[in-house]
Amino acid sequence: MNVLAIETHDLTKQFNGLTAVDHLDLAVRQGEIFGFLGPNGAGKTTTIRMLMDIIRPDSGRIHIFGQPLAPQTLDRIGYLPEERGLYRKIKTVDCLAYLAVLKGMPRRIARERALALLERVDLADSADKKVETMSRGMQQKAQFVATLVHDPELLILDEPFHGLDPLNTELLKEMVLELHEQGKTIIFSTHQMNQVEALCDRILLIDHGRAVLYGPLQEIKERYAPHAVQFRGEAIPADLPGAQRLEQQEEGIVAYLADGVTPPAFLRQLVESGAAITHYEVVTPPLEDIFIEVVERERQR
Amino acid sequence: MNKIWAVARHEFLTNLKRPSFIIATIAVPLVGALALGVGGLFGGQVEEYLEELFTGKGAVVAYVDHSGLFTPPLPAYADTYILYEDEAAAKAALLADEIGSYMVIPEEYLQSGKIMAYSKSSSFFSSAISTSKENVQGFFTDHLLAGQVDPTLQARVVDPVQLTPVALDEQGEPTTSGPMAFVSTFVVPYLLAILLMITIFTSSGFLLQGVGEEKENRVIEILLSSLSTTQLLAGKILGLGALGLTQVLVWLGAGMALLSGAVAIFALSGLLVISASTVILGLIYFLLGYLLFATMMASAGALGSTAREGQQISGIFSFLSAVPFMFGNFIMMQPNAALAKVLSFFPLTAPITMMMRLALTAIPPLEVAISLVLLILGILGILWAGGKLFRLGLLMYGKRPSVAEMWRALRQA
Repeated sequence: MNVLAIETHDLTKQFNGLTAVDHLDLAVRQGEIFGFLGPNGAGKTTTIRMLMDIIRPDSGRIHIFGQPLAPQTLDRIGYLPEERGLYRKIKTVDCLAYLAVLKGMPRRIARERALALLERVDLADSADKKVETMSRGMQQKAQFVATLVHDPELLILDEPFHGLDPLNTELLKEMVLELHEQGKTIIFSTHQMNQVEALCDRILLIDHGRAVLYGPLQEIKERYAPHAVQFRGEAIPADLPGAQRLEQQEEGIVAYLADGVTPPAFLRQLVESGAAITHYEVVTPPLEDIFIEVVERERQR
Repeated sequence: MNKIWAVARHEFLTNLKRPSFIIATIAVPLVGALALGVGGLFGGQVEEYLEELFTGKGAVVAYVDHSGLFTPPLPAYADTYILYEDEAAAKAALLADEIGSYMVIPEEYLQSGKIMAYSKSSSFFSSAISTSKENVQGFFTDHLLAGQVDPTLQARVVDPVQLTPVALDEQGEPTTSGPMAFVSTFVVPYLLAILLMITIFTSSGFLLQGVGEEKENRVIEILLSSLSTTQLLAGKILGLGALGLTQVLVWLGAGMALLSGAVAIFALSGLLVISASTVILGLIYFLLGYLLFATMMASAGALGSTAREGQQISGIFSFLSAVPFMFGNFIMMQPNAALAKVLSFFPLTAPITMMMRLALTAIPPLEVAISLVLLILGILGILWAGGKLFRLGLLMYGKRPSVAEMWRALRQA
């Protein structure tokens, strides 16, 4: 199980002299949920298209499941493109089954699985209706199903929850977590940082085709932590020598710690000073803030 | 291979259900049957009218005779030739539309042979035919020779040649029998060539439409992440080719039924005789020709940013496929001339040219071999280039790739 689901090395792609992807190294482990982030035009779609063998890189190499990119490996991947669409004029179940057959699944099994999955997302009634009769949200769910029918080991989801209501978002998120439990590898490309924080193990943030932030989500958040703690409680003394600055916020007091003062040491100091602490945590910035900070810093360079 | 088959099956089945396909497939035989029905009702009259229009037969010819050699007309010509006293009377009859034209035979006719034929300018064409040399020659010969020579000799002079064309095969055996067989040598190659054109246009129309839709609804991205462009292209061409063939077969079947109906109604005799080798080679050229044009059309279709633009680009190739028709007469008259040979070697014109030539002449096997090899090489080349351009075009939304981009795509391994 030590084989990486995806590994790229020095991946580069230019379009008319513009570098869309710039010497990108990327490794996605099997069984993880990997967040693939970046502002618009950062090179996310180009990278994904190269992974799916839709376009060829100018240089660099791609390994999927430890093998160089080959037609057989593509059959083990489910891809939800950002640009959505299904055949409009044919029955939903036929459409989904056809797309799965193109991934190498026998027709009969493909139909059965398509029907079962449509039922799972409350679209059983639409199975025998034409795709175009469904609402946008329903088509969106059907499209999500289309990436799963052939039972792929690796899923590449580009903005999977875009345009969905909270109820359906929750349903699909649940399915993603189920797939994760089954051991599937999931690459999750999105702008919605709260979804990334809720789902992803590790992330890659790219801008101008280059990796600017890469690693386990928790580690990254700690790295960008402002060296501060947040706490609530009673009888908190006004003077706390370990803190450079105190801020009263809605959820409690935020203390920016002085150099050399660790959060446990500060907690000890608080308790010894007689405060009754009910809540204490290290401040981690929202991923969105890190995203903005890193991208802006990169662009100023 | 399985994926190609899956695409072919999908394209065949979904397009089979298109209303436009069903309507076109049913409408053509219906129109044929209707025409046959109308022909059956008015058959005799129509035939007569056409014969009159194009041969001038049955039309009345008026004349004024100053030589006295044609007065009165022989009994055999009494119905079709009317003698007028003088030119004034004939002219009055012409202006009153009682006759279509009149000839004036001068006094010194025997020495000069000169005849003037008059008709109104508004009906010059049909009158010119009815008083053409071929039509009136018999009348003059008969009158000049009447009583002078033996009647048998006179009949031969009037109509010296009763021609029955017989074509011999390599063994010197006659290959054709009856006028229908002779007609078939002209009809069959044209028919095959036209069938190829129809298949190309219907199928490539669906191909263009399908590719345009896939581009518009973005399914293309999923398709390309599942199979190669070559597989997709091959599957589409096979599926839609089968669809086009189905349509042609329906039409052919209906055509055969109508033909036997026509034989019964018009009492036509004779059978269409075509040799087996012509049919087999014809079929090979038919399939290769379809493959060639469908690939070009599909690539052209993918390069257009909209379905309409794709159609415009592919129009160029439709035009190319029609080039042999422009030289159709020439190929039929001289099926072994250098031009015909060149056209049968050039891949774009080979299928249709060869189909025309096949039925007309025995083509040396070496020529057929060269033509087939070049055609197959051409198809492979176009499949290769087409696959790449197809891929390039498919991923470009809203804009057409530049020539430089196409060139880069072709050079890319």
